[in-house]
Amino acid sequence: MLKRLLLLIFIAVTFKGYAQEQPDYNVENIPSALKSRANAVIRYMETTIDMRAPENVILNVKKTVTVLNKNGDQAAALVLFYNKATSIKGVKGIIMDSFGKPSGKFSLSNFLDESAVSDFSLFEDARIKRYSPNVLTYPYTISYEYEIRFKQNLIIPDWYATPYSDVSVENTSYTFISKPDDKIRIKEYNYKGNAEVVKSDKVVSRTWKVTNLNAIKREPYAPDPDNYLTYVKIAPEQFTYYGHKGSYSNWQELGKWVYDDLVKTRQTLSPDIIQEMNNLVKGLDSDKEKAKKIYEYVQKKTRYISVQIGIGGFQPFEAAEVHRVSYGDCKALVNYTQSLLKAVGINSLYCVVYGDSYKKSMDAEFASMDQGNHIILCVPLKSDTTWLECTSQDSPFGYLGSFTDDRVVLACTEEGGKLIKTPALTTAASLLKRKAELNLDKDGNINGKLHTDFSGSQYDNYRRIISKPSSEQLKLLKEEYDIDNIDFSNLKLAQRKDSNPVTSESLDLTIQKYAPRTNDRIYMVLNAFNKTNSIPEVRNRTLPVYVNRGFTDEDEIIYNLPEGYSIEAKPNDREIKSPFGSYAVKVTMEGKKLIYNRKFILNNGTYPADKYESFMRFFSDVSSSDNSKVIFKTN
Amino acid sequence: MKLLSIALLLSFFSVSSSYAQDFEYARITGSDIELKNSQLDSNANAMVIREFGTAAVQLDNTTGKTYIDFEYHVRIKIFNKEGFNHGNIVIPLRIYRDEEDEIKELKATTINFVNGQLVKTELDKKKVFNEKKNKYVLLTKFTMPNLMDGSIIEYSYRLHSPYIFNFKTWEFQSDIPKLHSEYIANIPAIYNYNVSLRGAQKLAKQNAEIKKECLMIAGNKIDCSKMTYIMKDVPALIEEDYMTAPGNFRSAIYYELSDYVMLNGGKKSITKTWKDVDYELNSDKSFGTQMKRKDVFKELMPQILGKASDDLSKAKAIYNYIGKNIKMNGFIGIYSENNIKSALEKHSGNTGDINLALIAALSAADLDAEAVILSTRANGVVNNLYPVISDFNYVVAKVNIGDKSYLLDATEPLLPFGLLPLHCINGNGRVINLKKPSYWQDLKASQKESTKYILNAELTADGKLKGKLTTYSLGYAALKKRQRIVAANSVDEYVEKLDEQMPGISILKHSIENVDSLDNTLVEDYEIEMKVFDNLNADQSYFNPFFINRITKNPFNLNERTYPVDMGAASEERITMIIKLPANISIIDKPKDMSMALTDNGGKYLASTSMQDDSFVFNEMLQFNKPIYESEEYLSLKEFYSRIIQSQKTDIVFKKTK
Repeated sequence: MLKRLLLLIFIAVTFKGYAQEQPDYNVENIPSALKSRANAVIRYMETTIDMRAPENVILNVKKTVTVLNKNGDQAAALVLFYNKATSIKGVKGIIMDSFGKPSGKFSLSNFLDESAVSDFSLFEDARIKRYSPNVLTYPYTISYEYEIRFKQNLIIPDWYATPYSDVSVENTSYTFISKPDDKIRIKEYNYKGNAEVVKSDKVVSRTWKVTNLNAIKREPYAPDPDNYLTYVKIAPEQFTYYGHKGSYSNWQELGKWVYDDLVKTRQTLSPDIIQEMNNLVKGLDSDKEKAKKIYEYVQKKTRYISVQIGIGGFQPFEAAEVHRVSYGDCKALVNYTQSLLKAVGINSLYCVVYGDSYKKSMDAEFASMDQGNHIILCVPLKSDTTWLECTSQDSPFGYLGSFTDDRVVLACTEEGGKLIKTPALTTAASLLKRKAELNLDKDGNINGKLHTDFSGSQYDNYRRIISKPSSEQLKLLKEEYDIDNIDFSNLKLAQRKDSNPVTSESLDLTIQKYAPRTNDRIYMVLNAFNKTNSIPEVRNRTLPVYVNRGFTDEDEIIYNLPEGYSIEAKPNDREIKSPFGSYAVKVTMEGKKLIYNRKFILNNGTYPADKYESFMRFFSDVSSSDNSKVIFKTN
Repeated sequence: MKLLSIALLLSFFSVSSSYAQDFEYARITGSDIELKNSQLDSNANAMVIREFGTAAVQLDNTTGKTYIDFEYHVRIKIFNKEGFNHGNIVIPLRIYRDEEDEIKELKATTINFVNGQLVKTELDKKKVFNEKKNKYVLLTKFTMPNLMDGSIIEYSYRLHSPYIFNFKTWEFQSDIPKLHSEYIANIPAIYNYNVSLRGAQKLAKQNAEIKKECLMIAGNKIDCSKMTYIMKDVPALIEEDYMTAPGNFRSAIYYELSDYVMLNGGKKSITKTWKDVDYELNSDKSFGTQMKRKDVFKELMPQILGKASDDLSKAKAIYNYIGKNIKMNGFIGIYSENNIKSALEKHSGNTGDINLALIAALSAADLDAEAVILSTRANGVVNNLYPVISDFNYVVAKVNIGDKSYLLDATEPLLPFGLLPLHCINGNGRVINLKKPSYWQDLKASQKESTKYILNAELTADGKLKGKLTTYSLGYAALKKRQRIVAANSVDEYVEKLDEQMPGISILKHSIENVDSLDNTLVEDYEIEMKVFDNLNADQSYFNPFFINRITKNPFNLNERTYPVDMGAASEERITMIIKLPANISIIDKPKDMSMALTDNGGKYLASTSMQDDSFVFNEMLQFNKPIYESEEYLSLKEFYSRIIQSQKTDIVFKKTK
């Protein structure tokens, strides 16, 4: 009982003490500009990273956030990752009401412990501690601090002035502390001013400060937030990581370390396998043919399974192990393929890439280990350079899809790292070409044939469908051509897997009651298969307009009309040319044939914010033309 | 939904020699190698060749506790790379209060037939991973090595489960077809389980026999009944869109402990009758005890009730209070996770905490409140022949005021009083009353998903439509809108988003009523302007009146249907437009007036256009009266939608008169 009483007193005292140290967090004190568009406001945040030694890096965060409404709850939640090399210490916090008066407190024991394994992974050693305050009245304020110890300094977490666009910032700072003789490289992004540097005999500290940062409204067709957010990246020269030591100050050295320390040692193959590979390519003349043979062998033999443990997050499994179990993650499969190519005397490059349909490049000016999330293989051949996606069992030899095309990657080689660019799937090459000939009967039913070729980045449009059994394909195709009463037969899907791969479909189709009639008229939408939707308006657009991927669509539909049909009204021929792309539609009559031609090109590119209005207008013009009808009368 | 029941009658037993047993591990036959998917389903990417499981109640001699010992063994053929994901194995294990399921003797082998040779690759034990998913579930995960087209994978394990109330459920049907699935349940004669077989597939064989002295408890030798069930050529269960719980249709055998004989000869009933269940739930610390905790609300009550004087307003005040004061923590269940007092203090709880607290609070205000346990739609239907308590996974409150009763769920603070969330609208629930015997309650939605649009506008000579659009939303429609308004932070931002989503239509002014008074109709008033034509100078112009919620896609576009169609809630949408035309415009053609109905009062669609003085009046109504339609009704639903789509493609034709 006494013990409990003491504890209570202790809590009461510390509680009071804690509260007294706090500045006034009354919600009234938040400047109104910071409340606009914001779901939460970071009142005060202090992030310190103290690199005491390469294997002892302490991150300390003190943070006070006011949550303005329910959608801001996520900004108050704490999600801390940990694993063998990352430990969490000293978490404590208090919750305050809108007047800044404390109403509750929490510590690490109030956190939920969860596995952080992503759905696609068999295993990762990361776990998370999660805390979400259960406060029911808004606004409220939460103030907490925690410390995380990293037993490595290869990756120093990036510091962002605000992590979410819907969170504004009153006051935030970042201090990085290191030893005077530590060499570190720093890059500031979108930071105005210079870091404050304080030097003493024992430590050097650098501090960045940001105040009064407004929340940003989410906008469609916006560029990568890294283009406008304020953040700082730091990379120490000398580093330690899971028992590995090294140093780098540029991509050349980092690439060299990755190759020497993580990759080269994992490529031992038994003489049997080397022999098997040499037999496999026997009789083939060119390196390209040999590489293709080996790539196909890997595709047939292996499958992608993700396992990330410790250094395994960066280091591939042994090539021999992949050979034995026939599976691996991207690193393991690239390393395996590279080893097999080496066995037949073909040199190739292990390349780190940021894989995403949203293009993202390595920063040429700042080397660091955290800029990639995927590995691909580059095979420099005499006449041309070939790229291989080793996790796919059906990608064509030499084809990089929209996940990795058109960006700067880091090739890790014996001579060191090199930044190279992957080939781009251009707007012109990313082509959809469709041709259909359809017969319209007097009841408004349609039957006919359709053929489409997809190439460039559109090669993968049918990825989801093509591998499925035929009954499933017909079902999925109804989602592609989601037209009431449509039915398909004689579906043939094929892929030509050469250097310019093409997916093609050909099918017969019927659409019952496609063209309904009123008393006197028959209505039919000419563009049956490829309609573009309009995009939202945005009032007061602030961010530039960004189109990540361009494409070209060409549709031709020939309708054979029944006897006695005349056109009362038809969509106007249209031709729109704009910096964003172009659109052309033409409707012609040739005897009883009504021919609909449409060509739509969307360019990739970045445009100033004030161009959004005309960008939106472009889409809505296209959309309204796409949906327009022809109206027939019968005699 | 068919529910078969098999009675475990002793007279049914025959004492015979062993009848079925496990197959030899990794002993591959020629027919396994030859096996093609065309044998059962040419669309299958993988197929179970043979699957064997056996479960038995056992006694742990060191602890003296009974447990369930379950052995599992399967052989699967992988036909192509699309089937490789069946080589990624996840075995979920349950975590109980102080114990958890344990897996033992795991082995796994991939067998390939290469160049006329069988090549076996064993699973490396180091590559078996255990992952604690959350506080209730542990996952054992591994992936099969060396997969290729035509691989045969085989694995087996033993599972030690401390929880004997649910004897292991056996699923004969899964997402891949099975040639042979066999299950043996060894149940000591002192235990009596209710057994139910669900699904449409028939057992190929079933057998029962007595196994003498299979278990020894405190020196007593106990006989077991050994039940064998076999299904052959079981098709895959393919999920369809708009489907109620797949578990309702999956062929599987379920067990629930009903009673057991104690060593002194007395019989201990577990879930034999509802009377027993009532007693147990009412005395359960995590259920009945929580319902009784009026003390928690004694002092708070005057503050909660405020000025409420009649019973209905008291009930509403309490419902609002609980909804605002305990946040849902994401877990559902019929039991209180902690207890209602601490849930109220921490402002966080599971469905049990929240709704049992609601019942306790209602009782504390001297209202007649009961608990209703139910199974959510995703969890499937409950057995209504006898109590299977594990079928239930959710609890709500029922309050009886005068001759009316209301079903309440305080876990969603935006639900109006008396409306259950959609996931609770699922057949019958059982009402548990602290004083009276329990009874079944039909779980019907008290309100439809209902929306009404009224547009009063004028078409001006410059081709613009200007006017006022008023929308009335009730029931689930109002719930969805209120959720969207909350997600948008404010009414202004909600309207801004709405406006931005509709290029071509501008919202000039808006007002929204009853955003917070949940029991009233949500009324949205918009002053809108819409550009319809560049101008009205053309001789003829075409106007499509179906621009509010036009149906562009048929949700039922397939040609066949196996399972019933779940439409959520009954719904009704009405649209009325009164549009004044310029003096020199007349209508010369219009969409055909429509009036059609689904059979059995299943639904209705009406559309009509007429001229009244200088305005045309357009009315449209779409109604679905049932939440669930049988698979036989699928094609009529498809046709129903198709006709609506056809009608909505046609226009009103305006002619300019001089």
